[in-house]
Amino acid sequence: MMKYDLPKTSFMAIIEVQNLYKYYLCPDKKGETFAAVDGISLTIDKGEIFGILGPNGAGKTTTLEMLEGLTDIDSGSAMIDGIDVQSHPYKVKEIIGVQLQANEYFDNLSISELLTLFGNLYGKKIDPENLLEKVNLVDKAKAKPDSLSGGQKQRFSIACALVNQPKVLFLDEPTTGLDPQAKRNLWALVLNLNSAGMTIVLTTHNMDEAESLCQRIAIMDHGKIVAEDTPQNLILKHAPEPPLAPLHGNIEDVFLALTGRALRD
Amino acid sequence: MYFSHSPVAPYATKPESAMPTKVQLHLAKVFLKIFLRDRQSIFFSLFFPIIFMSVFSFVNRSGVDTINIGVISEATDSSAIEFIQELIDNPIFSVTLGLEDRLRPQLEKGEQTLVIIIPKGFDTSSERTTLRVLVDAAQVQQLGLILPVLEQSLVEIERELRDIEPMFNLMIEDVKARSQNYMDFLLPGLIAITLMQLSIAGSGFNIVEFRRKGILKRLFVTPIEPKDFITSIVMARMTIVLVQLSVLIAYALFVLNVKIVGSLAGFYLIIIVGTFIFLCLGFCLGSIAKTQQAVMAIGNIVIFPQIFLSGVFYPIESMPEFIQPIAYVLPLSFISTGMREIAISGASLIDITPSLIGIAVWFVLSFVLATRLFVWKEVAS
Repeated sequence: MMKYDLPKTSFMAIIEVQNLYKYYLCPDKKGETFAAVDGISLTIDKGEIFGILGPNGAGKTTTLEMLEGLTDIDSGSAMIDGIDVQSHPYKVKEIIGVQLQANEYFDNLSISELLTLFGNLYGKKIDPENLLEKVNLVDKAKAKPDSLSGGQKQRFSIACALVNQPKVLFLDEPTTGLDPQAKRNLWALVLNLNSAGMTIVLTTHNMDEAESLCQRIAIMDHGKIVAEDTPQNLILKHAPEPPLAPLHGNIEDVFLALTGRALRD
Repeated sequence: MYFSHSPVAPYATKPESAMPTKVQLHLAKVFLKIFLRDRQSIFFSLFFPIIFMSVFSFVNRSGVDTINIGVISEATDSSAIEFIQELIDNPIFSVTLGLEDRLRPQLEKGEQTLVIIIPKGFDTSSERTTLRVLVDAAQVQQLGLILPVLEQSLVEIERELRDIEPMFNLMIEDVKARSQNYMDFLLPGLIAITLMQLSIAGSGFNIVEFRRKGILKRLFVTPIEPKDFITSIVMARMTIVLVQLSVLIAYALFVLNVKIVGSLAGFYLIIIVGTFIFLCLGFCLGSIAKTQQAVMAIGNIVIFPQIFLSGVFYPIESMPEFIQPIAYVLPLSFISTGMREIAISGASLIDITPSLIGIAVWFVLSFVLATRLFVWKEVAS
């Protein structure tokens, strides 16, 4: 296993995670538990786009859900913007925006009404049109979420996650199932939000996405972080052939080199 | 700039208050809006109780009609006339006098329930007189009601003829100065059943649906607390149930002419508390059941026995003895009994203390159970 000497705390850090563990009951062996997240430590800087890559079941979503306060932390600590996630979950919720994998909403409400609702949940009066403009959905203001395409739905989910002007935005597989156009469109949106200073943490299966969007990447497998660096450095260190040119190989090569080629469910 | 970051707010908790907060009110309004836009379920939630009540009321109407009897008098003396007069005066009967060749076909056609033939020598002979009663076997179930009245009339006539003082004098006092029928008995129970179904569906079934769609999870990553969510669902559902029940009650009162004798305020108090109880039980259901099928199945286990065991259609005393102890303590029993006593006997809240105690116990029980079972993190995922 590779080990990196990252500073444990940094002046610029907005997310600091230390020795995070999450245990679940084994589905096949009764009474036994396994570590879905097995002692991970992470530091994510302010203004960064940070990608978490990993095969299915690697613990990416569980890690995000622990940071978001959706899942209890079994041991370890997580701080977001200096606030302890475990002792002040509601304070953390005030400053984060979350897009979950499942994207269904209440029936019979238009997306602009839903945005107003989400604003109210934060005790904020918001201008739905302003938000819809950011995600390029102004002409859909009166539409129901059901009638949106996959890409529009994801953009709408991001709009919902922006109602509280979050400092950190969590995106769980934001481009899974999107066509290339919708995917590029979403990347542009993420980059745009990031250029305004927002820290973005995303999980993905998409190597292109990790490579072209993220400033730093952590690769997870079996609940552990097996590598963490900039995409370029990872390629330099892990791409199979020793590089003749500075950027030989891609992140997919790195990913397969680190997590193996065995099929995951 | 839009994404300018405000400084972290101090870790102070908001002051608690009994009044609903702005978030709760807004969320309640949203739930109401969602419901109001669901025309189909509004229609069906009103349609079935109204049809149900109308059918019962119709069946019931034909039951309170007077009983048609034919009288063929072969005697012409005073006691026979007196007996006939007695029958005519009795409000239960509608008497047609006539000859056998006219009344017998009427009996066969069902226009008469029975025909009494008074023989010649009704009073003069000291021997026993035999009254012949012609009945149609198809109508025989009403004989149980008619024969005692006939016997009573005959006993009285006999006394007068033989000039004996009656040993007992039966005085029937009508304490309920109004006509009461089965529909009056049924209405409070039907309202209670509707209340139960609307409430359990409103909380339990909705929660499972919200979870399936991932909405609960999504709400959970915002700063609202479980109590905000529960309070707003309770407020919205309470409003919906009260409006729906008021429509049904108005229909029963003004269209079906059902009467509520007691105080309407007391009646509504029980409705409100009852709705709260079943909303809480719905939250329990929604927390236990993980799928839509499971919540339907468990919901039916909760709903159906109560419909049949809560004395809504027939009194609990008439049920098998082993089941009575269970039947008496069901929440719907307390609620429907309390409502019925107010509605048909004009009971005050003090009069129905036993029901109110039962309701209070269920109120506390269901509330505690709901708050224990509704664990945000577990219910959401």
